[in-house]
Amino acid sequence: MIPLAAVIAVRPDRRSSDRRLWIPVPLFLVWLLALPFLVLALPIFFIACQASRVDPFRALWILWQLLCALRTTRVSVEHREASILVHIF
Amino acid sequence: MTDNRRQVLDMLAARQITVEEADRLIAAIEEGPMPAAATGLVERPATAPRYLRVIIDAVDDDEGPIKVNVRAPLQLLRAGVRLASLIPPQAQDEVNTALRKHGVGFDLSQIKPENLDELIDHLGDLTVDVEGERNTKVRVFCE
Repeated sequence: MIPLAAVIAVRPDRRSSDRRLWIPVPLFLVWLLALPFLVLALPIFFIACQASRVDPFRALWILWQLLCALRTTRVSVEHREASILVHIF
Repeated sequence: MTDNRRQVLDMLAARQITVEEADRLIAAIEEGPMPAAATGLVERPATAPRYLRVIIDAVDDDEGPIKVNVRAPLQLLRAGVRLASLIPPQAQDEVNTALRKHGVGFDLSQIKPENLDELIDHLGDLTVDVEGERNTKVRVFCE
């Protein structure tokens, strides 16, 4: 299953420990919006795969697996001035 | 010589662990009885690691302390390495040549799914601690 949502938490100032701005990102909307473009780009993708002698279906499967594996990824960076946390669900 | 101590020395002789790790394990054995799971000598835990953790603590003269904490699913690593199989043969040859030129005798075409699974299974035992200059600490481990 591909990730359907993500949260970005931004703290502009480290001293204000409680003031963290939580930004929910509905990824399912991003996928829905990107879907028509992906379908349009599919023939180009197939041609590129043929040109580089790569199995396009295998490539699609691996890219899909990569996308699915992004779930539960968490990246946090803390700095004196600010901190950011990205959590993919 | 106790069985645990002999096991540590056997692992050292087989180069499964480094001298520092052997030293730590023997010190732990000498400290007294520990649960078998804590020594890691008897059986590996039934739960396989699911995440690769990278923790970086750095102190910059101008910017101050910086902390980076990454938790990436091992599944992502697995899928990422599979991407290597998508590299066209000509590009693989070029990459292999460049690697050889830099003294890395590694062949990308030899990355097989079964090797990959084995590699990721063994990542559970891996902990890398790097301490650099200016109090920069990097820790890589699986959990």
